[in-house]
Amino acid sequence: MATSLVLQALLAGVESGLRRVLALDPKALEALGGLQGKVIAIQCTSPAFVIYLLPAKDGLHLAANHEALVDCRLIAPAGSLARLATRSDKSAVLHERGVSLEGDSGPLLVLSEITQQLNLDWEHELSRWIGPLATALLARVARGQHDWAKRTATSLHQDAADYLTEEARTLVGRREAEARFCEIDDITLQLDRLDARIAQLARNRQERPESP
Amino acid sequence: MSDPRKTPDSEPTTHFGYRDVPESQKAERVAEVFHSVAAKYDVMNDVLSGGLHRLWKRFTIELSGVRSGHRVLDIAGGTGDLARQFSRLVGERGEVVLADINASMLKVGRDRLMDRGVSGNIAFVQADAECLPFPDNHFDCVTIAFGLRNVTHKEDALRSMLRVLKPGGRLLVLEFSKTRNPILGKIYDAYSFGFMPLAGKLITNDAESYRYLAESIRMHPDQETLKGMMADAGFDRVTYHNMTGGIVALHRGIKP
Repeated sequence: MATSLVLQALLAGVESGLRRVLALDPKALEALGGLQGKVIAIQCTSPAFVIYLLPAKDGLHLAANHEALVDCRLIAPAGSLARLATRSDKSAVLHERGVSLEGDSGPLLVLSEITQQLNLDWEHELSRWIGPLATALLARVARGQHDWAKRTATSLHQDAADYLTEEARTLVGRREAEARFCEIDDITLQLDRLDARIAQLARNRQERPESP
Repeated sequence: MSDPRKTPDSEPTTHFGYRDVPESQKAERVAEVFHSVAAKYDVMNDVLSGGLHRLWKRFTIELSGVRSGHRVLDIAGGTGDLARQFSRLVGERGEVVLADINASMLKVGRDRLMDRGVSGNIAFVQADAECLPFPDNHFDCVTIAFGLRNVTHKEDALRSMLRVLKPGGRLLVLEFSKTRNPILGKIYDAYSFGFMPLAGKLITNDAESYRYLAESIRMHPDQETLKGMMADAGFDRVTYHNMTGGIVALHRGIKP
């Protein structure tokens, strides 16, 4: 039970932090209010634990136990859960081995959308502490740095991809891979047709009366 | 848990802390204690438990099984900690009744919940746990947190709770209990009879009420005794969970 209380304390702390963050985006709270009454279970298989998410208009509540039916249960190992939380392309992760979804996936998808579209008004919160002038200056610097970091990261990603696929030929490029996949699909279709043709010929041969 | 002993004039007595008082006087004396501490009840809870009471209550809510559309009765609901969370869980289709025998506590709870925007699915009722003014088979869940030890006739209260629960409904009793760890017990005794009355004196200018709190905890039945009392009252599948080394226990029983 000591472990339970530690877990309760941990969940209470995370819940309180989430509430503070969500309070910076009124639209997110409004959207969470629309999910009130829904229960989403996140079941981690490795390490084994279950966390229940209960969205409400005042934030996202977390629970270690929930003794009633849940609307949706996501079962996955910790790595996949982390990828689900951070990646924008969630469908690829959902099709990974060991990942399964039970019940109504609607609430989970809406919740995921809410977290991805979070638009935190951190400038408002900061201005309460250091004043509007200092916040404006700080925000301009931060936005400049953020834009530069974003442009640099995109450029670096593109350059690295071009080098590996076009110059070093270490990796196969996306377009090249797609062309090969199309060819494989065509060959598969042709083989299927050939199979069907052979099967039809074999049937015809069996049905035809033997010649004297 | 009434004491079968009788005073010379034949009125049955019960304990009020370590003292024996006529049964008819206990409710009045308990009411005086809570009238005195109502205004600073939340502050004192946080100070005396180091905030742990919030975790004990979280665990209680998790084990309640309450969901949208349920009807919940929170007896001795005090300042509405549990009722507020239940109000969120039952949603617009459900209902929460916060009941307390003490008008001062009920007023503090009602004001606090209204200040926090909790309304619409919550009702406030001044009621005695021993004779609950609700129909039979009415609630999906009944909770009583840190209130049962102040009830004069605990068996009557448990039977009354059983009556108002729907079949399959659950009773949750969160209450101070007995630790089996001798070292923790010694520390807890020193804390209860040394620090608690002192904190009561400093914060609410009322050491006596907090001396009563410490004494009433010692006079409350231990885990197994309360489990037996719940089973005797008619509850099925009675279990309990110790928290903080058994200083607090959460008992749960199902109405058959």
